[in-house]
Amino acid sequence: MTMGAYKQQPGTSSSEIRKDGKRVAGKQSFPPPGSGGSKPSMRPRDLDFIPETVGGREPKPAGDHIHDRARTGTSVGKAMPLVDSNAKVTGQAWYGDDVRLPGELIGKILRSPHHYARIKSIDTSKVEALPGVVAVATGQDAPNRFGVLPVTKDEHAMAVEKVRHVGDLVACVAAVDEATAIEALSLFDIEWEILEPVFDPKEGLEDQDEPIHWRGKYHLARTNVQKRVFQEFGDRSLVNNPRAASHGSWTMSGVHHGFTEPHAVVAHWDPNGRLQLYTPQQVPHYTHRALSTVLDVPMHQINVIRTFVGGGFGGKSDPFPHEMCAAILARSSGKPVRITFDREEVYWINRGRHPSHIDVKMTADDDGRISSFDIDALIDGGGFASFGHVTSYYNGVLATAPYELGSFHYTGARVWTNKPASGAMRGHGAVNTRCAVEVGLDEMAESMQVDPIDLRLANLLPPHSRTISGFRITSNGMREALERVREGSNWDEKFRQLPLGKGIGIGCGFFISGSGLPIHWDPKNFPHATVHIQVDMDGGVTVHTGAADIGQGSTTAVAQVVSEVLALPIEMIHVRSHESDTSPVDLGSYSSRVTFMNANAAIRAAIDIRDQLLNAAWQMLGYHPNVLVLNDRRIYYKHDPSIGVSYLQALHKAQEDKGALIARGAYRSPPMGGVHKGAAAGLAPAYSFSAYVAEVDVDVETGLISCTNVWAAHDCGKALNPLAVKGQIIGSCHMGLGQVLSEKMVYGRTGHLQNANLLEYKIPSVHEMPHVEAIIVESSDPEGPFGAKEAGEGPLLPILPAVVNAVYDAIGIRLRDLPLTPDVVFRGIEKHLKKEGLEDPLELRSPRLEHGPLQATLKARGEAHRERDRLRQRSEDTSAYVNGVLFGFDPDRPLADQVEGWREADEPLPEQLAELGFAGRAWLKKEQRHMGGDA
Amino acid sequence: MAYGAPGTTVVGKEHVTMIPAPKGQAWTARVNGTPVEVLAPSNAVLLDVLRDKVGTLGVKRGCDLGTCGCCTVMIDGVPKLSCLTLAGQVEGSEIITVEGLSNGAHLAPIQTCFATHGGSQCGFCTPGFLVTSQALLNENDAPTRDEIATAIEGNLCRCTGYQQIIDSIEAAAAIHRGDAEAAQPASSPHADPHPSGPEEPTMPPGHAK
Repeated sequence: MTMGAYKQQPGTSSSEIRKDGKRVAGKQSFPPPGSGGSKPSMRPRDLDFIPETVGGREPKPAGDHIHDRARTGTSVGKAMPLVDSNAKVTGQAWYGDDVRLPGELIGKILRSPHHYARIKSIDTSKVEALPGVVAVATGQDAPNRFGVLPVTKDEHAMAVEKVRHVGDLVACVAAVDEATAIEALSLFDIEWEILEPVFDPKEGLEDQDEPIHWRGKYHLARTNVQKRVFQEFGDRSLVNNPRAASHGSWTMSGVHHGFTEPHAVVAHWDPNGRLQLYTPQQVPHYTHRALSTVLDVPMHQINVIRTFVGGGFGGKSDPFPHEMCAAILARSSGKPVRITFDREEVYWINRGRHPSHIDVKMTADDDGRISSFDIDALIDGGGFASFGHVTSYYNGVLATAPYELGSFHYTGARVWTNKPASGAMRGHGAVNTRCAVEVGLDEMAESMQVDPIDLRLANLLPPHSRTISGFRITSNGMREALERVREGSNWDEKFRQLPLGKGIGIGCGFFISGSGLPIHWDPKNFPHATVHIQVDMDGGVTVHTGAADIGQGSTTAVAQVVSEVLALPIEMIHVRSHESDTSPVDLGSYSSRVTFMNANAAIRAAIDIRDQLLNAAWQMLGYHPNVLVLNDRRIYYKHDPSIGVSYLQALHKAQEDKGALIARGAYRSPPMGGVHKGAAAGLAPAYSFSAYVAEVDVDVETGLISCTNVWAAHDCGKALNPLAVKGQIIGSCHMGLGQVLSEKMVYGRTGHLQNANLLEYKIPSVHEMPHVEAIIVESSDPEGPFGAKEAGEGPLLPILPAVVNAVYDAIGIRLRDLPLTPDVVFRGIEKHLKKEGLEDPLELRSPRLEHGPLQATLKARGEAHRERDRLRQRSEDTSAYVNGVLFGFDPDRPLADQVEGWREADEPLPEQLAELGFAGRAWLKKEQRHMGGDA
Repeated sequence: MAYGAPGTTVVGKEHVTMIPAPKGQAWTARVNGTPVEVLAPSNAVLLDVLRDKVGTLGVKRGCDLGTCGCCTVMIDGVPKLSCLTLAGQVEGSEIITVEGLSNGAHLAPIQTCFATHGGSQCGFCTPGFLVTSQALLNENDAPTRDEIATAIEGNLCRCTGYQQIIDSIEAAAAIHRGDAEAAQPASSPHADPHPSGPEEPTMPPGHAK
């Protein structure tokens, strides 16, 4: 586009000037419409970033979106550096340990040396006598329980009665310096009664003399089961006589988030007796609540200040006991207290991914339809509940899409053991099962002699449909993702055709974009996210949000959407999100909700501000807002850009009677989901989809796997910031690769964690990273801000199965023991050689594929479904679609009316009890209230 | 200390006194071009001295074991792990931390490139990466991607997957060579095309004023 003047009416050579010096509309030279009229310094509207649905040039293959009209072509969709990146690259970003208050004391925590023991007495007199020690606290100082989920509050600031794992908190001290504090830790006299520990979650299913926690009448017999889940949907008769089946038993190790910043906290009670707590938290609001409970102080007397967060990934989303300790020490000493973890303590507080035993059976029928998924997940929760209630559901229910299933059966149990607590980690609960499921599909495809991508393409749920468990799928870019990785990786030339030791594999993913249920309140009463915007006379826009930026760029996303709506440069948007005093309540950065929900709220608030500005411009110009255009700090008449007011003029007019413009916007998810127990788990306003192809080299003689190339397609709805989305995709690959190839929390025979450091806990270094081709798929979600969905967690899921499947393609051996470290692979190869009667691993044969008759059927069905999906995505086909239509059901009638034996159950039938999987054995036990005891 | 068998009772534990802290003595160096003199005990670790005494909090503590690279600083031009360096070893040397990379308020190319190419997400490992890569660029302003990878192999990043870090360093190298210009901000709020001055709004034709 040129900025040169053009004539609106050919033949007019120059502008006509009126007597009063103004120019005459339509009779003047001026730059093209949208360029700012007579203000040549104004940038033209960036039509490449304005949707074609509202007159721009940005393609919208998925149809129009409700936010299209708020697009101004300013920021959204453009690769932007994070708004806080300059603070980060200059070393000025302040993380937990960088908060240094004058007169600070150093806090240290005494940790349990025992796996499981009762504290009979603690004598602190020697500690208190040590010169330099200012404050001491034990569990008796804070007896109130807390926990991240209101249903499972099982943590104390420090052990009150029992310690539950090595590293559990026992007591804490604050001293003038670190050396004194460390010395003080050795002066506690504690009398312990050692109890019998449990390390194996399978043992945890059995009755114990002394269960790790006691839940009273809700306790399951005398076991250590923290949560059991049963879910069954669909027509179970389909399981019989399958065309193909797969059964895999998996052992997945626990993995840790491995963020680079160790936990740190600074607590200070200000002179008015209010607590100021500085902490790198993903979820400051839950910390806020927990502090209030533990300290017996109302929430309004606590100000939680989120520092910069040096990586979270779910590992900084629980309220932590050391945060309480710092507050307690600061209260009793009257001075600021800083506690910083060393790397070992980081592993002791853990909250990483659950070590799991996962058993997945699946079947397919004669038409290549997936007739059943049977999943059994036994997950090792460690010493506390943390997010485990949710994890127990996610291990099953997040496997119900993106495929259309004939039936679904899930049993899950989360068990307390005497190990550091597992919790939420990127891809919460979905990762391990997803890996097992996707590898199972690969195996079924092989036995049906079909291409695994075609098997998937012929079984996808379409956009705007419902899963078997009742999740509402809106936009769905799964098909495009699969097609693009197939093409990008040259799949059809490589799959089952590479030489021994080289392999290629596919994996898919499905993840929530924001949990539909705010844990602490009824979603009917209170929004999930609120954003306040304030614009004062200087024109700068201050955005208050509780969105906790943990590096993923949520602050940037919020700034971008406000900048987009108001057509202001992003540097004029100032996001304030650190303090709970100034930010409206936000649930925090978990379940991939923060950009989705906060940006939605921010758009609403920004539209409110925009309308106030347009109304002011209306008063000044006499043109209705419908015909006014916002662009680069100017508001002008659509048909004659020379008529307009500057942003500041409109702003000052709008402020005339009321001062600074204030607006707020909120978001809450629509009512959704079924009514069965657990229906809310996994419910989200939108879901992300992803498909990866990975290429690996396997050294058959040493068992060393290296992943060389990854084609990673992720449907994020709309990439608000493609740079950040790509960063999330590549970063997810890195983390997933660690889990599948090298990362493992090693517990020795005595139950001790043996690799609590970054030397032996193997995070991939730069040399282990493959080249990742990040492919962004945009399906434009109707619920998302400008169509966006999550991009932070979903992209992690497919990398695991893609690598495992690629290893099979390379050496023809299915390995189900993660991580696939060389020793695991080598043992697998040796076992396989023995079975095949081979001597030399170089004699291994990599698998080959000869298409069977089903291939053509699936291919044709996939082709037909592509058109079906396109029409549904664009809302040209708005008919109902529920899981089951592929199996011939009518979506407009209840499925239970259409087939006898349709199940929708959250408890097993008595006759099922005998045949449940490992975790399902938890259903053999009764709760105390049904045993006649209420202990 | 004894670990008890289940059912037993264990009482107390040994009192371990810390080695008496040596007295602080004067420690001098040039940090980011400024001479500093602080009191530090003879066994002080450079990381502690820089963070606690000198106040360069941009040097990050990630692991204390030399495994993560977050604490990397340039000592006489060579990137070293400050958590594995005794302050006494580098007495009198020239130390550059992340705070010393920029020229006053003007960011070094490596800093802008990390911002514009997504080389920094949570930012905690960034200071270490910046110092390491600046040291590389000082030696070699046309590194290959493999050479870059070798240079940063001691630095862990958990957010980016390294790919965008390598992109950032490549882009900075191009600026160092003079093959590219430092990226300008996409927009400049300072050059407001419509200042708030006394200028009157442009009124529609026929507006009675």
